Amino acid sequence: MTKFHLEFTVNGEARSASVDGYRSLLDTLREEMGLTGTKKGCDVGDCGACTVMVNGEPVNACLMLAAEAQGARIVTVEGLQSGPDDLHPLQEAFMEHGASQCGFCTPGILMMAKNLLDQNPLPTDEEIRFGLSGNICRCTGYTKIFEAIRTAGQRMAAARSADAASCGCGCRTEIRVKRREPISAEG
Amino acid sequence: MTKQDFRIVGKSVKRADVIEKVTGEGKYTGDYHWPGLLHGKIKRSEIAHARIKHIDVSKALAYPGVKAVLTHHDVPKVLHYGSPHPRSASCTKDQYILEDKVRFWGEGVAAVAAISEEIADEALDLIEVEYEPLPGVYDVDSAQLPDAPQIHEVGPGGNLVIPPVHVERGDVDAGFAKADLILEGEFEGGRPVPTYMEPNICVADWAGSNKLTFWTSTQTSFMVRGALAEVLGLPLNKVRVLVDHMGGGFGAKQDLFQHEFLCALLAKKCRRAVKMEFTRRETFIAGRSRHPFKLKLKQGFRKDGTLVARDMQIIYESGAYGSHSPGVTTVGTFSATSLFRVENVRVNGRAVYTNTPIAGAYRGYGVVQTYFALDIQMDEAAEKLGIDPAEMRLRNAVREGDIAPSGHPIIGRGLEACISHGIKAFDWAATRDNPDRSDPLNPAIRKGWGVGCEMHGSSAYPGIKEQGNATVKMNEDGSVTLLTGAAGLGTGAHTALAQIVAEELGVTFESVSVVHGDTDVVPWDIGAFASHTTYLVGSAARIAAAKVRARVLARAAEKLQEQVEHLRMVDGIITVDGKPGQSLTVFEAMGPSRGIPAEHLIDTGSYNPTKSYSFAAHFVEVAVDTETGIIECRKVMPVHDVGRVIHPIAAQGQIEGGIQQGIGHTLTEDYIIDRSNGRSLNAGLVDYKMPLSMDMPDIQTIILEAAPDPGGPWGAKGVGEDPIIAIGPAIANAVYDAIGVRFHHYPITPEDVLNGLRRKAAEDKTC
Amino acid sequence: MRRFEYHEPMTLEEASTLLTTLGEGAFFLAGGTDLFVEIRERLREVRHLVNIKRVPGLDRIDYCDTGGLRFGALVTAGQLEASEAVIAHYPNLRAALRQLASIQVRNRATVIGNICRASPSADTIPPLIADGASVETYRIGGGRSIPMAEFFTGPGRSVLEKGEIVVAVTVPAPMPGSLRAYIKHGRRKAMELATVGVAVSLDTAGGVCTGARIALGAVGPVVLRAPLAEALLVGSKLDAATVAAAAEQAMQECTPISNVRSSAEYRREMVGVLTRRAVSQAQEVAA
Repeated sequence: MTKFHLEFTVNGEARSASVDGYRSLLDTLREEMGLTGTKKGCDVGDCGACTVMVNGEPVNACLMLAAEAQGARIVTVEGLQSGPDDLHPLQEAFMEHGASQCGFCTPGILMMAKNLLDQNPLPTDEEIRFGLSGNICRCTGYTKIFEAIRTAGQRMAAARSADAASCGCGCRTEIRVKRREPISAEG
Repeated sequence: MTKQDFRIVGKSVKRADVIEKVTGEGKYTGDYHWPGLLHGKIKRSEIAHARIKHIDVSKALAYPGVKAVLTHHDVPKVLHYGSPHPRSASCTKDQYILEDKVRFWGEGVAAVAAISEEIADEALDLIEVEYEPLPGVYDVDSAQLPDAPQIHEVGPGGNLVIPPVHVERGDVDAGFAKADLILEGEFEGGRPVPTYMEPNICVADWAGSNKLTFWTSTQTSFMVRGALAEVLGLPLNKVRVLVDHMGGGFGAKQDLFQHEFLCALLAKKCRRAVKMEFTRRETFIAGRSRHPFKLKLKQGFRKDGTLVARDMQIIYESGAYGSHSPGVTTVGTFSATSLFRVENVRVNGRAVYTNTPIAGAYRGYGVVQTYFALDIQMDEAAEKLGIDPAEMRLRNAVREGDIAPSGHPIIGRGLEACISHGIKAFDWAATRDNPDRSDPLNPAIRKGWGVGCEMHGSSAYPGIKEQGNATVKMNEDGSVTLLTGAAGLGTGAHTALAQIVAEELGVTFESVSVVHGDTDVVPWDIGAFASHTTYLVGSAARIAAAKVRARVLARAAEKLQEQVEHLRMVDGIITVDGKPGQSLTVFEAMGPSRGIPAEHLIDTGSYNPTKSYSFAAHFVEVAVDTETGIIECRKVMPVHDVGRVIHPIAAQGQIEGGIQQGIGHTLTEDYIIDRSNGRSLNAGLVDYKMPLSMDMPDIQTIILEAAPDPGGPWGAKGVGEDPIIAIGPAIANAVYDAIGVRFHHYPITPEDVLNGLRRKAAEDKTC
Repeated sequence: MRRFEYHEPMTLEEASTLLTTLGEGAFFLAGGTDLFVEIRERLREVRHLVNIKRVPGLDRIDYCDTGGLRFGALVTAGQLEASEAVIAHYPNLRAALRQLASIQVRNRATVIGNICRASPSADTIPPLIADGASVETYRIGGGRSIPMAEFFTGPGRSVLEKGEIVVAVTVPAPMPGSLRAYIKHGRRKAMELATVGVAVSLDTAGGVCTGARIALGAVGPVVLRAPLAEALLVGSKLDAATVAAAAEQAMQECTPISNVRSSAEYRREMVGVLTRRAVSQAQEVAA
């Protein structure tokens, strides 16, 4: 079987690998790149657990060959954080709201939620539901996921407007929040 | 202790394990990968019932990259349990690793290990199996005919998994004689599957020794250890089972699924680690479902709504192997003596083998089926007697002192509290009295409202003589480690346990960390199922923490030169009553100091349960499209009594997730088997239809602490099983309210609705 | 997953030649969202995949008021769903695209792949047939244009020859007074394969229906037209009684089968309900 020399960018880092033509991007990320945050829930595009961003668009990594990612920019759940202690507002909100139970769907849902909020920081309930319609969560009944996305969206929008106000140019700087101490629902 | 006194229990602290889940760093079994790892695959039968005449693996063995092939000739022939609960009657030995016989379509007949998953998969096609077909039975009725083919050589015969379970109290015939109204009905239900997101997976490694290290996704790591050791002929300390994160189980991941044994044997044969991962399709074919059922129910009522007699016969379809049928049948049969109080009751439960996929444990364990019937018939009786359905349930709800399914007295009035609270919060009376059934967007819609009830035991006691264990260790800096054998299947149970330890010990939540998932290290645990972890292991953790606390305070007393009775420990600070200036941190108390020897601070708690029951009432709104037959569940208000809530957000999450699964099995989910040949027709996520983000209703969860149980930590009871039970009958009752058609089965499909409406129209015409 | 050889031709000629010479077990790859599923579920034995993504010029979406819409073989469902021309002029196609699988799938799946798979339940086919679309193909020795209504020969089968590649689909520009809708029927609100899909495309002038095309998905071996039902609508004012009669007629014109998703009877009944609803929805959208 012919091998391909693959060069692409994963989470901002240039990576290369020698891959078989038949290997999926999902298997390549998990087994060749060691990026096991992206999960294999069905391997046929039905569950969304393997959602990653390819050139800015969310796709199922199981439905794409690694060879097709030649030169692509890929972002996985491992690329959501900017540093070990800098969580994305969505990750914070998912923890606070109990939006992750078994957690197997979480990486894929986080990527879809990021895609949604990047386009539309204050989505309606219907928009959130539509945005997640390709991601199966079997633990939460989705309620807490919707809540977490709303919260993260509000915080990101607030941070953006604060940021825009301070620098005055209106640029859409990536907003990060520092990991905080655990908080209680009452607190 | 009043609610205000709690510092950690009752607060939604951040789950310690969730940070790894949101960053993608948490290791699930499938995330273990290293060079040289072999991949295993299972060859599955293409026939539901047959003897294997001949099996030829020579071509597969010769295929480049294949390292080993196993058939029934190559594996130990040990009859074993599908679900090996020790010390219990709730399992049946009726399985071999591989046999010269298959009993369901998709049963494993051989296994391959190869250098890649693709090669292993391709090699499966090269295994040639010659079958001698045997006559199959594909439904419980034909399985029980006198001349039906027998699926197993073991067991009581007649295709029964166990002898029928019978329970009788009072005088049922006399009860019916006193009744003003007698209702009889037949009920049945489909085959929902748990559909956890992480497909079954394991990795086996003998690491050049005679000790097996085994990573797997299981709720019951000690049961996996026991079964592997028994079948492979090893002492327990030569099998180490490891589970870190796991992607859901919902009960089904208590079983062994053939691949565990095969993976271990392949690894041994190849002297290399082997990984075996189910495809999504295999999780259907070779996974476990809820038991399909058929049920007859006859009940007598007085004019005032009082139940005076109940007679129920239920048949659970076990599929090809026993798995959890003994437990499900026992729990389900006994459950039918309760929920709505009745002095004269007779229930007969059977579990029947068929040549279909295996039914196992699934959230709501045998009770989903019986309470579906009880709750719908309660609605029918209310209507016939002219009593409001919620009021009817209040009059009949089990309460303090009634005999529970377990034989213990019910504690408190939890069910009545849930119903009463829901009546107010849902605005039940106003909604039902002046119903607006229309929908401005679709004139074909009719809306309706319904209620359903449930109760479920926390822990599997007395069916299984369980024990909860915990070890609590205080380190020399005052930080605390809890060791538990309870699995973390995603419920947040470890967080609840850490909260309990922190609360009891008097330290902060953040100072407690949890070690779990290594059978070589943690205390024995039966597994995470039956809503047992918080209730049972939580109690054990509290006992262990109390012992450590006593020793810390004794040490502090020595250092402070004070009487131990005068010391208090809160958030890791030890103070002396009446002496505000005197205090020590835990670190100072524990640290080395002149004249006081160092101390190894470790204690274990064990707890044998009594039995407690959690209760719930679910109120729902449905919208039925009378032209397409599609039922939409639009609003759900679950009201649950959990005794004491340890972590409100986690408890709500359990309830909301259970409702999602319950809506699914009531309306859209059914794993369909061709009843003519046992083949599955929808083994995938497109045609097995779980409700997704756009299908979910608005859920307004209410948690009550109405009936705390003295057996649980500060009164806490289980919550995991409960929410899937009441939602089903609540929906069926709401559909009746909307369109006047009664359904006695699930799932209720759009075609059923249209056919029902036609039947009703014909009846209305003749009337 | 099974192994296969992977090829990346740079021209249509190269792609077509490869497919012909590689013989049995060679298939074109565009989006791959159906193909990879078929490979993994062992519904299709694949030895070679010929990926046409590197062939230039197949990723365009063009629209003009006279020529209508034209999109190439590499245009994804997501791109077409987001295109201004489709949003402005093809509400029925847009509705079908928005209900096709998931956002992630639509970002990979090509619309022409959805068409070429020739599934009777494919979402994009009914609106395209109702709108009178055609496919343009490439063949060595000369391509052709085929009306989409004549493109399919059975489930999974079309008139395409070995090595022939659909390079584009063209859809006529809507006439003033055009009323269109697509309704998909499934048990869930997303991630569904249509139990039944109905597209209507009606031409009206002065409140009178002057032309009607009804396309029925998942109720026959291919997506069907309902010519007798269409004839009932033409000349009417699309009043409730006429629409009901046409819906009744459409039920008689379909040939559904029973399978795990639904019975034939139910599908037939839904053709009636959905045809009626689609006409009324088309009128509402216009109003």
